[in-house]
Amino acid sequence: MVSWELFGAWIGAFLIIWIYSFAFKDNVLYKLAEHIFVGTAAGYSVALALDSLNRVAIKSLLAQPAASWHYLIPVILGVLMFLKYSRRYYWVARYGIALNVAIGTALAVRTIPMANIVRQLQAAIVPLWGSDPLKVFNNWLTFLITMGGLTYFLFTIFPKKPETGKVSATYTVYKVLYLIGVYGMMIGFGALFANTIMTRVGFVISVYLIYLQPYMEATVIAVILATIAILIEIRRRSRSKCMTLRRMS
Amino acid sequence: MNMDTLALVDKVFGSKILLYILLIAALIYPFASPLGIPVSISSRTMQVYNYVKSLKPGCYVYMEIYYEVAARGELEPNVVALVKQLFDKDCKIVFVSLIGTGPIVFSLLRSTAADLFNTKKYGVDYVYLGYVSGQEAAAASLAKSIKGTVSVDNYGNRIETLPLLREVDKATDFSLAIIASSGTDTFNWYVRQWYTPYNVSLLFVALSVIAPSVEPFVGAKQAIGMLVGQRSAAEYELLVGRKGLGLASMDSQSLTHALILVFIAAGNVVYWGKRLRTKKK
Repeated sequence: MVSWELFGAWIGAFLIIWIYSFAFKDNVLYKLAEHIFVGTAAGYSVALALDSLNRVAIKSLLAQPAASWHYLIPVILGVLMFLKYSRRYYWVARYGIALNVAIGTALAVRTIPMANIVRQLQAAIVPLWGSDPLKVFNNWLTFLITMGGLTYFLFTIFPKKPETGKVSATYTVYKVLYLIGVYGMMIGFGALFANTIMTRVGFVISVYLIYLQPYMEATVIAVILATIAILIEIRRRSRSKCMTLRRMS
Repeated sequence: MNMDTLALVDKVFGSKILLYILLIAALIYPFASPLGIPVSISSRTMQVYNYVKSLKPGCYVYMEIYYEVAARGELEPNVVALVKQLFDKDCKIVFVSLIGTGPIVFSLLRSTAADLFNTKKYGVDYVYLGYVSGQEAAAASLAKSIKGTVSVDNYGNRIETLPLLREVDKATDFSLAIIASSGTDTFNWYVRQWYTPYNVSLLFVALSVIAPSVEPFVGAKQAIGMLVGQRSAAEYELLVGRKGLGLASMDSQSLTHALILVFIAAGNVVYWGKRLRTKKK
């Protein structure tokens, strides 16, 4: 007998293959999988938001109204946000948004100077001399690339190259740091790209190991169906191209 | 290399279909015939392992589960290995999700590591608070008071009825906060709302793609360390002695990366070859 769990696993394998089939060509099964995903995700989000509201506010309000009355304020402000669909009272929705933005900003701003500026500056101040040559080399790299990166983003005050005559020492230093900044960032972007590949490959591997390999029959059937869908799409496109050419001639 | 050869190499290696087919083959082949490439333990993973090892038995740990089902393959093996190490030390874990997909991935985590969770009692050894909306504001609120933020857990149990949540309530009650996230912002929130005001030790579990963006926090010692993607997972699985998805995927990762290197090298040969030929002309 087919269990619901097995049925779900087969559907999962089908949808995964159909979504990946887009890499080869857009086709009807890809579109089906895409629409199922969007619909399910939208439905899940609405259900989750209502559940969150119920768990956090409604249950507390019903169980201990005296102690939880303050939950009413965000609930009312949240409901007021729907007034943005009213032409007459749309402005009332701004109160909820304003409070949300204000609290978010206030919470972030109280620690940003320390967490994101001061501590990062402290970490960039490293000893440039020492007994461990590898550490010293790393510290110099950190120092030069930090300075270079900052120099690259100097848009207002920077030394200009004289049109005639010898270039100044300030300009040379600026130019060297600028180049270090450019190459440092290029190496950084290269590392980022390599990490991106690792993540994407990791996603595919895990999808294969968790959802496809245990249900190989479903995977094979899904691949066959996707191949048929792609071939139908190719035929449809070539036909429509022929029709257009005929009409033009 | 003449222009015809370069054009042929360009045509062959420039084919999208060929790249995808070879990638799929490189990805699947090691599962049919394992290559057995040895996995060495990096000093960074060892540092994290030693830190967790140094925690007192029975300590309290906070764990943020902030990822989608797609990111499961990179983050879940790390989380499972950490949960094993913590449960082996009888540490108690409070799981939370500031993302909507949290309840789904947590239920998948429980089923993947059923052997670990089944030996522990829900409410006493671990608790899952479920999805808490509010993002950074929610992180700040949870740091101040869990009871003041949520009244029930993910399964509708009232917080007062859960023994573990009678023992811990605020950020400073935890020996370690583990942030497993597929987004960069989450790490920012916890550095700003947990580390900076309360000095709680943070451990990051990040996707490979976002690790460079989070690295400055680790470099500035705002986190005790970071586990990155499947590679760190494989190393941690070796350290805790529980083989999982991390180790299983290493051969496949290596072969796929080697193939991509070949394609990048071929692309560069064609590019520079064509450029030099054009310059000569």
